[in-house]
Order: sequence, then C-alpha cells, then structure tokens
Amino acid sequence: MDGVEVEVREGVDRETIETVQAMSGKYKHGWETDIEMDYAPKGLSEDIVRLISSKNDEPQWMLDWRLAAYRRWVKMTEPTWAMVNYPTIDYQDQYYYAKPKSMAVKPKSLDEVDPKLLATYAKLGIPLKEQALLAGVETPEGERKVAVDAVFDSVSLGTTFKGELAKAGVIFCSISEAVREHPELVQKYIGSVVPPTDNFFATLNSAVFSDGSFVYIPPGTRCPMELSTYFRINAENTGQFERTLIICDRGAYVSYLEGCTAPKRDIPQLHAAVVEIVILEDAEVKYSTVQNWYPGDENGVGGIYNFVTKRADCREARAKVMWTQVETGSAITWKYPSCILRGDDSQGEFYSIAIANNAQQADTGTKMIHLGKRTKSRIVSKGISAGRAQNTYRGLVSMHPKATDSRNYTQCDSLLIGDKCGAHTVPYIEVKNNSSRVEHEATTSKVDEDQLFYCRSRGMDEEEAVALVVNGFCKDVLQALPMEFAMEAQALVAISLEGSVG
Amino acid sequence: MMLVQAKTDALTARSGALTVSGSGWLGAARRDAVARLAAMGLPTKRDEYWRYTDPASLTAATPTPAALFDAGDEAPAFDGIDAVKLVFVDGVFDPAQSDDPALAGVEITHLSQAEGVDIHWARDVYGVLETRGQTPVQRPLATLNTAYATQGFLIRATAKAAKPVSFLYQNRSTTSDALLHHCIKLEHGAELTLLESGPAAARITAVMEVEVADGARFHHIRSQGRDHERRAATHVFSRVGAGALFKSFTLTANGCLTRNEQIVELVGNDGVAHVAGAAVGDGIFHHDDTVFMTHEGQRCESRQVFKKVLMNGAVGVFQGKILVKQGAQKTDGYQISQSLLLDGDSQFLAKPELEIYADDVKCSHGSTSGAIDDTALFYLQSRGVPKRMAQSLLVLAFLAEAIGEIEDEAIAEDIRSRLEGWLQRHEH
Amino acid sequence: MLNIKNLHVKLEEEDKVILNGVDLSIGAGEVHAIMGPNGSGKSTLSYVLAGREGYTVTDGSALLEGEELLELEPEARAAAGLFLAFQYPVEIPGVGNMTFLRTAVNAQRKARGEEELSAGEFLKIVRAKAKTLQIDADMLKRPVNVGFSGGEKKRNEILQMAMLEPKMCILDETDSGLDVDAMKLVAEGVNALRDAGRSFLVITHYQRLLDHIKPDFVHIMAAGRIIKSGGPELALEVENNGYADLLAEAE
Repeated sequence: MDGVEVEVREGVDRETIETVQAMSGKYKHGWETDIEMDYAPKGLSEDIVRLISSKNDEPQWMLDWRLAAYRRWVKMTEPTWAMVNYPTIDYQDQYYYAKPKSMAVKPKSLDEVDPKLLATYAKLGIPLKEQALLAGVETPEGERKVAVDAVFDSVSLGTTFKGELAKAGVIFCSISEAVREHPELVQKYIGSVVPPTDNFFATLNSAVFSDGSFVYIPPGTRCPMELSTYFRINAENTGQFERTLIICDRGAYVSYLEGCTAPKRDIPQLHAAVVEIVILEDAEVKYSTVQNWYPGDENGVGGIYNFVTKRADCREARAKVMWTQVETGSAITWKYPSCILRGDDSQGEFYSIAIANNAQQADTGTKMIHLGKRTKSRIVSKGISAGRAQNTYRGLVSMHPKATDSRNYTQCDSLLIGDKCGAHTVPYIEVKNNSSRVEHEATTSKVDEDQLFYCRSRGMDEEEAVALVVNGFCKDVLQALPMEFAMEAQALVAISLEGSVG
Repeated sequence: MMLVQAKTDALTARSGALTVSGSGWLGAARRDAVARLAAMGLPTKRDEYWRYTDPASLTAATPTPAALFDAGDEAPAFDGIDAVKLVFVDGVFDPAQSDDPALAGVEITHLSQAEGVDIHWARDVYGVLETRGQTPVQRPLATLNTAYATQGFLIRATAKAAKPVSFLYQNRSTTSDALLHHCIKLEHGAELTLLESGPAAARITAVMEVEVADGARFHHIRSQGRDHERRAATHVFSRVGAGALFKSFTLTANGCLTRNEQIVELVGNDGVAHVAGAAVGDGIFHHDDTVFMTHEGQRCESRQVFKKVLMNGAVGVFQGKILVKQGAQKTDGYQISQSLLLDGDSQFLAKPELEIYADDVKCSHGSTSGAIDDTALFYLQSRGVPKRMAQSLLVLAFLAEAIGEIEDEAIAEDIRSRLEGWLQRHEH
Repeated sequence: MLNIKNLHVKLEEEDKVILNGVDLSIGAGEVHAIMGPNGSGKSTLSYVLAGREGYTVTDGSALLEGEELLELEPEARAAAGLFLAFQYPVEIPGVGNMTFLRTAVNAQRKARGEEELSAGEFLKIVRAKAKTLQIDADMLKRPVNVGFSGGEKKRNEILQMAMLEPKMCILDETDSGLDVDAMKLVAEGVNALRDAGRSFLVITHYQRLLDHIKPDFVHIMAAGRIIKSGGPELALEVENNGYADLLAEAE
C-alpha cells in the first residue's frame, strides 16, 4: 500500500517539475477565440437588466428581483477596505452581456454547439465529450468521471453527463435553465445565502448575472461523479457575472470543481461572481477552485479584476463544507469564501493557496461564523508573494454566545520571495462564549536559503528548487484538492512563480 | 473628503470647555494640535479603529461620574520600591505630597515651568512623536491631549538613574477629568525606569512621548488602579534608536473602560521594543490594548505579549500590528494575544495584524481564546491542591509570560502579589 | 580528481579571512581526511567547494577533473559529480523525501544528458539502497529530514550519495552527533561506495571515524591552511597527542 501512495505522489511532483520545464510562456491560456458575438449595448441601466432577463426568458419574479438589486446598487459605494489599489472602474464602460452569435438558438445538446467553441475548451484541456476527463493520472480506483458546465462569456454552452446525473436525481444545468425549468428550487434558495443586498459586488451581480451553474443533489444521494464548471472570459471589455447555486439536500454529498481562464488583454476586465451553497442536515459539499484568470503582464497592465462573493450555509445539523482554493491568476483578487455554521455540529473548512507575483494584488481569506453548538472550523492559508505583488490574508472567526463548545483552528503562513513584495495578515477574532476554543497562528518568512542551497547542491536549478520548496510550503492545502486538480495546481504554483528568482 | 458630521460634533462638545494656553514653543505645539484636530474630529464607533470599543464616553462633553474607590488595606502599588515620587491629585500635580524632583543624571521639569522658555529639548518631542503616530491610523484623542493638556512632566535622562521615577495618580473627585502629557527623553547610553500607578481621575486622557536615543534603555511599568468606574484612554508614543531598548508593561485590574494605545517606532538598527500587558476584569470591564509596532531599522526585535483574564461579562480587546517597512531586513517580530474566559458571558475580540514589506524577516503572531484547562485543573486537584488555589495557580501561570517581561524582580513581585490579591477577591 | 590550489576565502559580509591558501590534491579512488581544531576552516572549505553563499573567494582555484568548480552554480557542481554530506542536513517541511531524491536524481541525469528514471525503476533502486542503510519506508515517506534523529539524518545523506553516485564526496563531520553503532552503519554505507573512480574527502574532528573509513592520506588544518600532511599514522598522532604539538611545529 505504501508503495502505491508513494508512487502516485511521486508522479504528482514530477509533473510539477516537468511542467515547469516544458512551459516557456508565462500564461498559457492567454489566446483568444475568434468568434462573432452578440453584445448588449455598453453600460448599465434598468434597460440592460431587463434585456439580460429577457434574453434568458426569465419569469417576472426573477426580473423584479434583479431590478430591486439594481436599484439598491446605484445607491451603494464601492468598498475600499481591502489592501488593493486599482484605477477607478467605469461601470458604464463595460459590456454586461456577450453571447456567441451561434448560440442565438439554444442548442439542444453539446453536439449542436459551434465547433469553434468546443475547440476552445479542448485547447484548454477541458473536453466536453462524455469521457473521463482532465488528462492526467489514472487513479487507483480506475476511471473517474467529471461532468462539466462550460460557461463562455455570458452564457452556458452546455452541460455534460446530464442523462446519467438525472438518473441519480441530480440536477446539473446552467442557472438560466434552472430559472426556467426548476423555478420552485431557484426561487426558494437564490439570495438566501448571499442576499442581493450583501455587498457592492454581490448586489451588482444580482442585477446583471447572465449565467452560471445550478446544482441540486436530492436527499441521501451521493453524486455519482464530480461536477465542474469551467469559466472562460473571451470577449473584450466584457464583464463576467456568473451566479452559482448549489443545494445539497439532507444526507447528500457532492464534490464540485471550478476553473477559470481568460485571454491576455491590455485592458483590465471585471469579474464579479456569486456562489451560494445551501447544505442541509448531514450533507456535505466540497468546493474546489483553481483560479487562473489572466493576471496582467509584468508591469500590471491588463488582467482580470476578480471580485467574488462565495458563501456556504450549513443550515442544518451536521452539515459540512470544505472550500479549497488555489488563487494564482487575476490582477486583483477580492474573495472570501465563507461558512455560516448554523446547524449544531456543522463543520467548515477553508484551505487556500494564494500566489501573487509581478504586480498582482490579492486580498483573500474567509469568514467562519459559528452560530450552532459544537461547530468546528479550520482555516489553512498559504500566501506567497513575489515580484512587486501584495498579498493579504483577511479573515473573520466569530463565535456567537450560543455557539457553545465550538472550535476553530487557524494557520496562516506567508512566504516572501524578493524584497519588493508585501505579505499581510488581517484576522478578526470575535469570541463570545467561553466553552469554545479559538486558536490562531500566523508566520511570515522568506524562502529558506538553506533549503534552496540544499536542493541546489543536489543538482536542482534555482527555479526547480523554489518550485519544490514552495510546493512543500503549500502541501497541506494541495492535499485537500481532488487528485486531478492537485496536479494542475502544483504545476500552476511553479508557473506562477516563474521569473521570481534570480 | 468631508469630515463626518458626528466627528466634528464630538470634537465641538469635548473641547467646548477647554482652552489653549501658553506662549513660545509649547503654545505653538498646542495650537498646531488644535489645527490638526479640527481636520480629524473625534472618533466614533463607526471608525474601523474603534470597531470593538465605543469611544462615546471618552469623547463626551463631560465625564460619566465615577464612584470613588476604597482599596482597603491593600498597599499602594510600588509602595516598597525606592523611587522619586511625584503625586497628582485629580490630574493636577501636588508638590506637597511629592518628593523633591532631584535625581542624579535626570532633569525633571513640570510642563508649566517649560512654557516660558525659548529653547527647550522637549520642543523636539512634545507633540512631535504624537504627530508621527497619526499615520497611517489617526489617534485624535492623543491630539486633543497635546492641544489642551497643561499637566505633566518633562524628563530628560543623561545617565543611568540610580532609582526609578514614580508617578502616583490619586483620584478624589467623582467627576474629575484629567489630561496628562509627559515627555521623556533618554540621551545616548542613559537608562531610566518609570513607574505609574493609580486611577488618576473619573476620566483620564493621557499621552506619554518617549524618545530613546541610541544605546539608551527605558523601562516603563504601570499599574492602572482598581477603581471600578474610571475610564481611561492612554497613549504611549515611543521612538527607539539604534541598539536602544524600550520596555513597557501594564497591569489593568478593574476600570469600566480602558483603551491603552502603544505606538512604537524602531528607527535605528538593532533596537529592541517589548510591550506587554496583563488585564483582569470582572463584570463591567472593557479593556482594549491597541498596539502599532513599526520596524524601520534592521535587525530589530519586537515583542507584544498581552494576556487577559475575563469573567462575568468582561470584554477584552486586542488590536495589534507589526508593520515591517521595506528595507527593515532581519526583523524579528513576535506577537501573542490570549484570553482566558472564566465564564460564558465574557468576550474576547482581537485583530492581530501583520503588514510586511521586507523579505528577510521572521514574524509571527498567535491568538487564542478559551476556558481554563479542565485537565490541568483536575491534575492539580488530584495532587491535593484545593480547586480555588488550583484555579489561581493556572490563572497566574497563564499571565506569567506577560509579567515575565518586567526585568526588575522586585517590581514584578509587586505586580504578581497584586494579581494574587485580585484573584482572591474575585472568586470564580 | 580534485585539485585545490592556493585557495583564499573570506566572509562576504565582514573582513574575516577563513581560508588562507589551501593546497590539496586528491587522486581518483583516494580517500583523504582533513582534521583540525574548531575554527580551523574545515567546514568552510566544504561549503566553498559546494558553492554556498556568504563567502568570497579572493584567490586560488578548485578543479574537479580539470573543470573550475568555483565559477559554477551549486547545482552544476553537483551535476559535475561533487557531493557534500552536510554536517547539519537541512529540514524541508512538506517535501517528501522520495520526491526530493527523485527530483535530484533526475535533474542530475538530465544535466548530464542521461535519460530520466521512471517511477518504477527509481523506486526499485531506492528501496534496495535504503535497505542496506536500514532506512525504512516510513523515513522515505516523511518530509526531508523533518523529525529525523541525528543518525537518521546522516544515513539519509549517505542514501542521497548512493543514489546520486557522485565522483567526489565530501563528508563534513559526518560522525558528529552519532553513537558508535550509528557511526558504523554510516561508515559501512560509505565504504560500500568506495571504488577506483570515486574519491572521498572526510572532514572530522576525531580519529574514531577514520577507524571505520580508512584514509589513504591525512591532512591537518589550522588557521585556514593545511599545516601538515601524511599517512593514516598522522591521525593516530593527533589522537594521542592532540593538536598542540603540531600547531607549535607549524609556527
């Protein structure tokens, strides 16, 4: 047994090194798909909100919900508390809806989708055919299936394995489809975790979200395969505002993966997403993200401004959620996947790797809101700063008076590569009962010279040595990822740090 | 940006009865503070820096009346320590009760005596360190103090002082409202220990500015007095030179509101700054330690050690930051904030921050909150220690790391015995 | 194999001379030992040869099979066949010992234009070599040197040496912190690697390691220079009489 485990891990680490060697370009997903698009007029108004709603054939209640959000948003001001600096965003100088022309008539299945679009995903390594996917290791359990919802700019192209999932009672489709096909579920749960009034970016999303994924796992069901959404921004000057809603009913389980890329462009692009997860009694959700949006060039020109609100509500007893994120892309990252631990004995976990190189700025972390008794949470955050980047961990652990006998453990480590970057830690700890125990530890240090020298004295070059040591630093988080994602993440860690040494 | 109206209103109310006095350098420094204050206003609870402590009673026009407190047969703090004692009653210096301020190698001057002088060393300290401490976070209560305080001492040490200087603050009025401003300057190689004790007033707003020149050593030990209803906002601004040492310890037992700010700048290479605090509170007790530690020099060491024991609804707050500026290589920064909640009503609210712009550093912070360790309690009991004693032992053990920051053993023992007395009086 | 000529080294950050004209020539297949009191520059010599930062070479050269080592990056020196067994092996949390070994082996193979080992081949070789050094599977799985005892760390160094098959091995105080049994085990590991194409430089304080790893030549180092060279009998002389006489003689 030992042997198998070692060999698999070996494979993973070797992959990292090979990927580093093979990649000469810095950002490998920076190409664009040349395709004719339908745009809504630039700018944001009630008319645009109505247009998006009508493009999606939405019922009146959905339109009313959006308009209420829009009317609130115009009175809100953009938050400034995060440690990120960026030029003022002109919200009227964006397209809020962009759809490939070939999608004008909704294809009945993926077979009918424009081959150019399918080729885009194939090039990204996301085959949309119903086969075992994410080229990589053969896991000991044999073939694994992953169902994919492919979101291209403002629309979902299609979702794989729908039939097989339907047999298990699982609903996996685009949110626009869910609004039409499953209005009772959407109406009941949308905005129940992230209310449309939550914050500037979430409210904006509530008004203009164009597509995203919807998942419903019925009671007692273990989702037969991993579900994933792959987000691709392609069009220029276009914001992507997707909304994901996952409902995991009593005793159910699902593992969900999310990937993101965008072309290289000189002009920054806006991405303001919302992810809501509702977890009922004894249910469990694992949500893993590898965020690799275009980070901008070495001088901070271009890149995605990523303002994301993600929250899971462990609404009933013994519900469990695990967020794992690898944040390597985006010029600006503003993201705090959070857990509301409402049910007694519910559990929340947050594992994060955030890498900021060159001129990237990341302000990311989590909130653990303990409301139920005997609730548990764990936070493991690994931040790596290189170049002139700024990387901030921001988190809240809150133990309410009634959340008796609860536990939190937080470990927050920062690594600095080079003397022009910054690493910051801003935790908020609020404990309002004495039977709960909260522990927070944080360290900041630079890449250990002795470790690098030791590796180099054994024959590795400096970049390999840094990749190895940094991957070691991130191990606790990488291990929390599903195998396929772990490989991709390890490779990304190495690629993201290219040019950071020497 | 327009100042929030509430801030201006608070300032108008708070400063209504205060007047700027003095001529020469001191008057100029005060008028400068008035101008700076007008641009800031006073804090409100909506300020991020006052997230966990409501400043309303500190910014109100008049202090909330505070019942006088009888310490019973407990000896005053530092009673057995041989020191030059300077006594303040309700925030006003009382020469009759005080020692002759004569100490070899140390100049001690009351603020009022320095006012008429054209050239005074304190000109480079008074309001200067406070002004530096206003960025990146504003501390308007300190500026208010600089503008209006007329009581306080200017102390300059040029050599190693043979004994400590001790400020004793007595309170005899239920409505006293004190503003105290001290400036301390330690010249190259000098060494001084400063003691502070007592409640001072129903409401006190204090500022101490401490300039520790290269190679000098400064020790500050403070015991804030047991009056239950007093309110205090204190600020210590310090600038620590190359190879210099700055150490400050505060014991807070009781007091319905305490906000102790420590703003430390390590400007020279190889400097050392330790700030520590032990706070024990029972019932209406809100205690806030706010620390801002800036590393500018290389190879400096800083420690922040704060422990709080809380019961019956007492609230403990810790906001601590280590800022390491670009170029402050080889920084060794450490910060620990811990609370022991002896019952379910108490609260601990913390924001321990690191902000780091240099890579060759070793910085860490830890923060914990929880109840007394039942296993340890049982272990002690099973070895024959009565429960109450076992609890006291464990509480003292919990506080030990903070008290350990006091170098002088006699002073540390005084603090320890005060804590033991407090624990005996506050059974849990 | 290794030719060191007139090597002068000072600390990078202060004006402190550590090596003051070291001359040393080691032939293929030979085992040399360097002994000397604390602070004589023994460990510095090993670090300078391996390419650690913090030192400035002010004069002299060190050729490995005719190639100047001192101008190479540490990894290039390793690829050229130099191996330093560290006095204090470095702990690398999070990086598996196997991963580390495999990355190193393949990096060197690649640098030499050889084919990389497959996972299967590699595993087989490691297992075999680990067994003779009494390194169990658990030690291979744990992170590099983390939580290893002193003996385990040194055995791990020898395992790396066995896997990397260097030409020139430097053992820096490999006996420090080891009890007799652990030292024997390490020495056996080293002896198993001795052959006509591989040379050793054993740096040690004491004669006892040299009972187990028999040197062909012994050098005494003091104040940054080799003050006396001889055969194995020189080590015995030190063992019996200490360094004082030798130092006085050199004055």
